[in-house]
Amino acid sequence: MKTRKSLPSGIVMLIVAACLIAVCAPLILWIRHAAAMDSASFMETCQTIVHRIAHPFPIDPDHMGAVLLTILMLLLLAIAVVLVIVAVINLLRGPRDEQSRHMGLRTANAISNTAIHILLVVISVIWLLPFIFIVLQSFRVESTYQVGYIIPEKWGFDNYVSIFSAGSNFPRWYLNTFIMALATAVLQTVIVLCMSYTLSRFRFKMRKPLMKFMLVLGMFPGILGMIILYRILSDLGLTQAHAVPGLILVYVASSGMGYYVSKGFFDTIPKSLDEAARVDGATRAQVLFKIILPLSKPIVIYTILTAFMAPWGDFVFAKYASMNNQLGMNVAVGMNTWLATPSMLFANYTKFCAGGVVVAIPVVILFMCLQRYYVEGVTGGAVKG
Amino acid sequence: MASVKLTNVKKIYDNKVVAVHDFNLDIKDKEFVVFVGPSGCGKSTTLRMVAGLEEISEGTVEIDGEVVNDLQPKDRNIAMVFQNYALYPHMTVYDNIAFSLRLQKLPEDVIYNKVTNAAEILGITDYLMRKPRALSGGQRQRVAIGRAMVRDSKVFLMDEPLSNLDAKLRNQMRAEIILLRQKLNTTFIYVTHDQTEAMTLGDRIVIMKDGYIMQVGTPTEVFEMPENLFVAEFIGAPKMNIMHTELSCENGKYYVHPFGARLPVEGDKGAKLNELRVPGKQIILGVRPEHIQLAKEAGPNTIPVKLEVNEMMGSELHLHVYTEDGTRLIVRVPTIDLDPEQRNSLVQGAALNITFGGKVMHFFDKETEHNILLP
Ligand SMILES: Nc1ncnc2c1ncn2[C@@H]1O[C@H](COP(=O)(O)OP(=O)(O)OP(=O)(O)O)[C@@H](O)[C@H]1O
Ligand SMILES: [Mg+2]
Repeated sequence: MKTRKSLPSGIVMLIVAACLIAVCAPLILWIRHAAAMDSASFMETCQTIVHRIAHPFPIDPDHMGAVLLTILMLLLLAIAVVLVIVAVINLLRGPRDEQSRHMGLRTANAISNTAIHILLVVISVIWLLPFIFIVLQSFRVESTYQVGYIIPEKWGFDNYVSIFSAGSNFPRWYLNTFIMALATAVLQTVIVLCMSYTLSRFRFKMRKPLMKFMLVLGMFPGILGMIILYRILSDLGLTQAHAVPGLILVYVASSGMGYYVSKGFFDTIPKSLDEAARVDGATRAQVLFKIILPLSKPIVIYTILTAFMAPWGDFVFAKYASMNNQLGMNVAVGMNTWLATPSMLFANYTKFCAGGVVVAIPVVILFMCLQRYYVEGVTGGAVKG
Repeated sequence: MASVKLTNVKKIYDNKVVAVHDFNLDIKDKEFVVFVGPSGCGKSTTLRMVAGLEEISEGTVEIDGEVVNDLQPKDRNIAMVFQNYALYPHMTVYDNIAFSLRLQKLPEDVIYNKVTNAAEILGITDYLMRKPRALSGGQRQRVAIGRAMVRDSKVFLMDEPLSNLDAKLRNQMRAEIILLRQKLNTTFIYVTHDQTEAMTLGDRIVIMKDGYIMQVGTPTEVFEMPENLFVAEFIGAPKMNIMHTELSCENGKYYVHPFGARLPVEGDKGAKLNELRVPGKQIILGVRPEHIQLAKEAGPNTIPVKLEVNEMMGSELHLHVYTEDGTRLIVRVPTIDLDPEQRNSLVQGAALNITFGGKVMHFFDKETEHNILLP
């Protein structure tokens, strides 16, 4: 274990504690509320967490689960409070003297590390449950509706087969989404990186005002422009069945404004590298591709990931642009049509879970490949920029 | 392999700072020119204008007779070594050096030959496969030079390439640059703020101050005939002693009267004063520390001083002394000239008499600070 200085570790603990309190407090309130109302069991409460927002569904009453969960949450809260106290003491005490550096630091570190690790494990279990739940449900074949247990009684691929069977629109939606995400990822990455490079390296008139203008513009939620954008797209004939190119246009159009993180990163690369390369005979483009980009791998990955993720999970605008035309939907919108009425929910619940799993696959693969850089990228750009 | 000519070059930065005023210089083919001056005097700016990294506000820069004002750096056929090395951190030393050659699309075997050849000259063959971060400062500096070397460029630009190195390594690299220069046989422009580097490396030295050229000349010229007080004080270490005094003329013979002494001006200098018919007047007198001697005893042509600090430099002593009116002077005495008794007497507060000959004086106008002997 690396020895840490007391100040940063104190701050880290404070942050962790603050996050915990922020997560636990409303959850406890909510769970107590839920327990009083329909008294969900432990597992079913998890179910509720996932699906309550989408579709409330009556659940068998059982007080125990909710009580257990509440206790667990209270425990977490207690740990958080202890962490706060330790952190505050740590911060107040400042740098340790020689004596306690030898004696106390190791044990203190060991205790706080153990506490943090226990905490993280608990949190990640809570975090993972819904996902495990969905995967398990997608393999359930004995019934298609929502049930009060997690492990399927009968396993099978029926749900997967059905979403890819003839007549299902799912492959079409999937393809739509994939095309949109891919196109957006490519175009947006190119635009963002070029924009960032330009703003970082070139000095031109109105550069500062332009940056401020885009910053302010970025503060308005994109949804605000939805109605007018739909109008424009429909005039261009890019809605309904032809929503895909229209949506790509929308996703990519404002991407130049996402220059902030990568510009911050580029700014940290010494300008004399550019100059050396230009003297060495490189054009501006060669400087970007041979010097700047290889040095900013994390930020490039970050840009690709965010550009891919946005259209992949988009719902609001995609729904609006497709206007109920099955051919123009993306997966999120399309799968939502499976659950339009209670009777459809009854028939399609497990299928929906299977769809969810299939949707997650490319993203999971992408993340697994790029995750190392992703984390680096966020901190690299944020801290230095 | 090319001449460089700067005509009325001026640089105004966006914030209206005029970094370089009306710079005129004609650099001959294969010449080694050094820009030297205190920090902020516009050396780097001028060099970067030659490189094409900085826009030229006014005037023209020509390389080999071709005006290059509007050419990109890549089209100017120059090589440059940066103060902070600017090595590409994601490439190995080999790739760093090969970078420009690959951009020229040379075949890999040619590149290999050139890179290994340069590495051999610079003694970095063992590090070729390392990344720059695994190198010491001196090794990085060699890589930076290697990267510039392989390009066979017309002009070789260096911006304070040695300033990040420690004193010993700097001396060593300075010698290597002299050797390199003989091997490369191309035009060099070298920027430094260190007058020793300037004196030892340059065929010609350009001394700058606040964006103006103060003097251009060979090391000998700028040392022996500084055009103005600034150059006189800047070149030479320890710096020249300055005395405000009177120049008088009696029957065609000139005298100076520093601190009550009366010293005749002799040789060329006296003749030149005569020739120019300089009237007697208040002037600034400059004498280099090594040209002042300790007098055995007081006399009409000695100046009484008190010793303040005695710096033992090994082969010589630097005596910091002050006169009756508090003017501080530095006297440089070879250790070998002193017998042990004399040496022991040089303690703080000791009363000494100094004097200097008539051939080593420099005369500057009180108002313009211009050398009176150079009209
Ligand atoms: N990008 C810039 N914008 C505005 N002013 C600048 C810029 N770069 C340099 N200057 C100014 O121009 C003047 C000359 O700078 P320059 O870098 O050429 O000095 P220098 O002689 O190389 O000094 P040093 O020995 O410290 O490197 C300085 O006064 C500096 O403040
Ligand atoms: Mg400089």
